[in-house]
Amino acid sequence: MSLIVAAFGFGLVTMSIIAIAAVGFTMQFGITNMINLAYGQVMIASAYAAYAVNNAGVSIWLSMVVGAVFGALFSFLLNRTIYAPFQRKGTNLIGMVIISLAVSLVIANVLLPIVGYYSVSYHLDTGPTLHAGSIALTGVQIAIMAVAVVAMVLIYALLHFTRLGKAMRATAANPTLARNCGIPTARVIDFAWLITGALCGVAGVVAGMNSDAFSVANGSEFLIPIIAASVLGGAGHPYGAMIGAVIIGEMTEVSAALITPEYKQVAAFAALVLVMVLRPQGLLAKRGTLAAAG
Amino acid sequence: MLGNHHRIGLGLVPVIALGLAACGSGSTAPTSSSPLLIGVIAPFTGPDAALGPAYFAACLPAARAINNAGGVSGHKVSCQEFDTRGEPADAVPAAQQMVASHSNLMAVVGCTSDEASSVAPILNQAHIPMFCMTGQSEFNKTSFTYFHRLVPPDEFDAFAMVGSALDHFNYKKVALVFGNDIGSQAFVGPAMTALKNLGATVTINQAIALGQSSYRTEVTAMLATHPDVIFTEALGPTDATYMAEVKQLNGSSLPFMGTSATIDPVWFAAVSGAIGVQDLVSNFSAVDLGVTFSGPGYDEFKTNLDAVASQFPAAPKYAQRGATLHLYDGIIQAALAMDETKSVDPTVYNAVIKDVGNGTTGSVTVNTYAAGVAAIKNGQKVRWVGAGGPTNYNQYNNSQQGYILVKYDASGNEVTIGTLTQAQTAAIIAAGGG
Repeated sequence: MSLIVAAFGFGLVTMSIIAIAAVGFTMQFGITNMINLAYGQVMIASAYAAYAVNNAGVSIWLSMVVGAVFGALFSFLLNRTIYAPFQRKGTNLIGMVIISLAVSLVIANVLLPIVGYYSVSYHLDTGPTLHAGSIALTGVQIAIMAVAVVAMVLIYALLHFTRLGKAMRATAANPTLARNCGIPTARVIDFAWLITGALCGVAGVVAGMNSDAFSVANGSEFLIPIIAASVLGGAGHPYGAMIGAVIIGEMTEVSAALITPEYKQVAAFAALVLVMVLRPQGLLAKRGTLAAAG
Repeated sequence: MLGNHHRIGLGLVPVIALGLAACGSGSTAPTSSSPLLIGVIAPFTGPDAALGPAYFAACLPAARAINNAGGVSGHKVSCQEFDTRGEPADAVPAAQQMVASHSNLMAVVGCTSDEASSVAPILNQAHIPMFCMTGQSEFNKTSFTYFHRLVPPDEFDAFAMVGSALDHFNYKKVALVFGNDIGSQAFVGPAMTALKNLGATVTINQAIALGQSSYRTEVTAMLATHPDVIFTEALGPTDATYMAEVKQLNGSSLPFMGTSATIDPVWFAAVSGAIGVQDLVSNFSAVDLGVTFSGPGYDEFKTNLDAVASQFPAAPKYAQRGATLHLYDGIIQAALAMDETKSVDPTVYNAVIKDVGNGTTGSVTVNTYAAGVAAIKNGQKVRWVGAGGPTNYNQYNNSQQGYILVKYDASGNEVTIGTLTQAQTAAIIAAGGG
């Protein structure tokens, strides 16, 4: 029993990381209509950007900011130089998915000769381990959870209380109508890539902090639970992605305790399949996608 | 005005032309002085991406040694990487493309446990001598005549780990923590059998998914079984993450023992970065192939390895990687077999590779390729004793030389702390039911 409780505690950290990443991923899809399979590679590239700064003696928290900025700019440029031109030509959704898959492979293979195949670790003090019953979490893990909470609150505030957020929701709901209403949708989409890219960058850095070591190969591994959480919650729905992250994060850890570690991803995906069978639109999609966030 | 389909069709023309050109170049047989190619087919990306460079680092010094001596009967030699991503599904097209596009392949090295089962039949059918770093037991008695293996099967690694843990360290309770990939799981069954038969206890057997961001639940479950030592092989950053979390949740590192694949600069960098060099030096040991890292054959290898740093800067880091040494030896053996038979036809020289490795009656021992060529020109048969020491091919072209028990020093160099001779290894294998 104590192992399950401990696993639940570790699941809180896992779900925090997935939540940051999945909210960015699903917002990208909701606002820009782009299923960006290169998301995991942008995460790992951002993690390496933060590592470069951290390795030069900068604190991990400032390095995280660098990772976020890198992720934002990288995603913005990715859209401007590759995705947007194809979308303007009328490439359909499946075509865009294939393009993003190709971009993912290109990033991974360009990254490899730059950063090498060596795994790297951030220089950080994990802080004291805090115990609550069977749950044991380090200071860094608690900080990661706090980062996730702050990110979620900021996303909520952005979508509810700012003109940009309302413009994003309008663009997601109907871009043509939004444009006709005077909303500069192209600029909104640029901001969407910058914001979701920043979330992607932060997610890459916290994933690297939590795992103690990471390499280029982690990029594709990161993507799987992110997609699962996004689909589970309802594609394009940020709050659905948060709920999806909770379910996938906890299922992953608790199943490792209850069944066997080998099948922990299988258990999480079994939950995804079950939800898809019972509710194909995802958990929150009844209320619409990003447009209905408020 | 052309429609989209026409434009796509036009766009395909240069692609098809390039494809045909590539096919055309592949169909040309080697002429009297055309270059020969050594294919390095291994994971260069994916979770096992650290393996490929270790094998590429074997090819480059071998090619340099051969080319500095004038090439193989006048043919210069070069190396090319073929990435399998460590997945059979990617390995098969990679192998097929390699064979179809390069008729000048003199040998292929690499073919790890990740892909050997799918790659070896393709290479055998194409009559290309291969030197594989697979530990799978299915190759213990293989019918593939072009297959060569200069390392023992993984089960022998597992037996050597068991023998070292019980005899050298007196550990009795062992936790098995191996990656869930084919290569790593090959150790688990033999280790469990050997531990059971030799009176030790397996406290837990965890097959962990590679590349996860955390293994804290698995570590908590493992720590609850209170093992004396952890046996492990989980490549990429996985072992680093797992061992760092052991240290966090246990308050200190536990002793852990790795397979020969963990004696690798990439693995050292990952794990030392995660848990600290001192913890790694103090708590880690591994079994490695019985190599002395000395002698004229090793010196020749080391000289060439250092010299190829201009082509592959990481090459010198593989100076004490057993696999790198053995594959270097395999390539030189193939080259000397070609010299002895005066042929670039693999169906002619393949059978002689075994003779060059084991030696035949009256053969002269050589440690450098140049010395081998000189001896052959004098009408002598040669036996190659190279970087990895003597070869002992059996009827299935499998060779093994016993094990050493090693640890790392603070710089990541291998330090020998014990030896398991071929006879001792054989005794443990017998006790383990191998």
